[in-house]
Amino acid sequence: MDVENYQDLMPIILLGIVFFISALGMFYWSSKRGQLRDFDSQAKTIFTDEEPEGVVSDQFPDEKR
Amino acid sequence: MNSKSQTVLSDTDAYSTNDAGVRAELSEIDASIRTASIFFTVSSVLWLLIGSVFAIIAAIKMHHPDFLGGDAWTTFGRMRSAHLNAMALGWGNNVIFAVGLWIMARLCRSPIRHGGLLLIAGLFWNFGLTLGLAGIIFGDMTSVEWLEIPHYATPLLAFSYLLVGVWGIMAFHFRKGAHVYVSQWYILAALFWFPWLYAIAQIMIIWFPARGVVQSVTNWWFAHNVLGLWLTPMALATAYYLIPKVLGRPIYSYYLSVLGFWSLALFYNWAGVHHLIGGPIPVWLISAGIVASVMMVVPVVVVGINHHMSVVGLHRAVWRSPALRFVVFGSISYTLASFVGSAMALRSVNEITHFTHLTVGHAHHGVYAFFTMIMFGGIYYMLPRLLKREWPSATLIRVHFWGSAIGITIMLVALHVAGWLQGVQMKDASIPFLEIVQMTLPWLKARSVSGLFLTVAHIAFAVNIFWMLFAAGSFRARTAPTLLSKNDGEAFAK
Repeated sequence: MDVENYQDLMPIILLGIVFFISALGMFYWSSKRGQLRDFDSQAKTIFTDEEPEGVVSDQFPDEKR
Repeated sequence: MNSKSQTVLSDTDAYSTNDAGVRAELSEIDASIRTASIFFTVSSVLWLLIGSVFAIIAAIKMHHPDFLGGDAWTTFGRMRSAHLNAMALGWGNNVIFAVGLWIMARLCRSPIRHGGLLLIAGLFWNFGLTLGLAGIIFGDMTSVEWLEIPHYATPLLAFSYLLVGVWGIMAFHFRKGAHVYVSQWYILAALFWFPWLYAIAQIMIIWFPARGVVQSVTNWWFAHNVLGLWLTPMALATAYYLIPKVLGRPIYSYYLSVLGFWSLALFYNWAGVHHLIGGPIPVWLISAGIVASVMMVVPVVVVGINHHMSVVGLHRAVWRSPALRFVVFGSISYTLASFVGSAMALRSVNEITHFTHLTVGHAHHGVYAFFTMIMFGGIYYMLPRLLKREWPSATLIRVHFWGSAIGITIMLVALHVAGWLQGVQMKDASIPFLEIVQMTLPWLKARSVSGLFLTVAHIAFAVNIFWMLFAAGSFRARTAPTLLSKNDGEAFAK
């Protein structure tokens, strides 16, 4: 199937539009769900009781703490 | 979604292990993904070694074309393509599945479901890739850059990918807690972007080929976006997780990290056509690509500031952490490689650099000095936590680090200098082409030497990993474990 008629690209163009709208949708979703607020506590979500904030959690195996 | 996720949480209590209904312990999450991540890690390292062999052969052939001559399967074209695919799909994708999916599982705060799906995906991936590489080596390559794998192998890769993508969406859907950390954004977005890129490129170039130069535009849209919308987000996700995690200090500015993510999503995907500057395609298309390539300075500077300010004052801790040596090397390389890339997209610069070794150097700046170094760091952090064992040899870690750092630096200097001189001389019609080729030879030999450094580094890495995996019991923590107990000298219970 060669592209002799640009109409044949319509599926790809529609797909592109769908993906663009889904990207806008994700941005809107994140805004609505509070993902774009309260950045300080968001930054701390990587810490847990097992590996808490304030503790360096990696070093060479032959080095003393 | 449950009602908990409606509230914006203002502190980190919801992430305490006291509230078992909300999140699981890290060790439980790690245990649930262990088999899959180890499978992917071992696969990635094996492909790294195989890809390094192809790389050395290809590199030597550029200054000694008769090396391994006489067989069709060791010709430069096949070896170079085998190298590219083994590294991009073998090393790159497997290490992404190993580290990226582990980070996703941890940040989704819930033991993973359907780990078996990941293993099946991994088996199909490796099988498809082996078949594809054999196809390339024995003459069935498609001649499309970054899509060289023959059509009989690509459906296996697509199927495998589908399983991983579905898994990723499910893991995200069943996450606990309201916050979506920036690494999860990058990983989820990359899992969404990659199949889209791959499917469209396969359809429009291989299966139902578009006419003429539309194929070229699609080709470079695809190939550049594999770098920018797959490798880059996964590496950035890893860096955004590991830098604050290891240092025990939150990222400098979470606002900047969100800005960086969305601006990358906006700008990166237009840039691919900068590979075709000067080519027979509409000028407006090329200009759009150049603008996007330069606008990439925004997310790159944002990431650079964020990472730099996050480590300020803690450089000693960075140096003393195997993971962060690699990750911070990678982050710095991201900034440098991206600035060079934005410059290369300008027409005046591109007139010199296009079709020279500089492009190859720049590509390795991104995929090795940035992506690969960060993923090495990811493995150094992840594997002890999955296996509950310490790395057996600090010396091998140092050999790995220095071998990689020195090797890639030699390669980058050699290729950037050779490429620039090549480009400048090619614009001078009075210089015979053969003289220019001869000028590049010492630099290409330096590149082969750099390949030896890198291969030694990779061997050190592989030895350490297999030692850790198989010499169980002999390497419990001897002095202070890096991570697995809170008190000095305390042996860990499990």
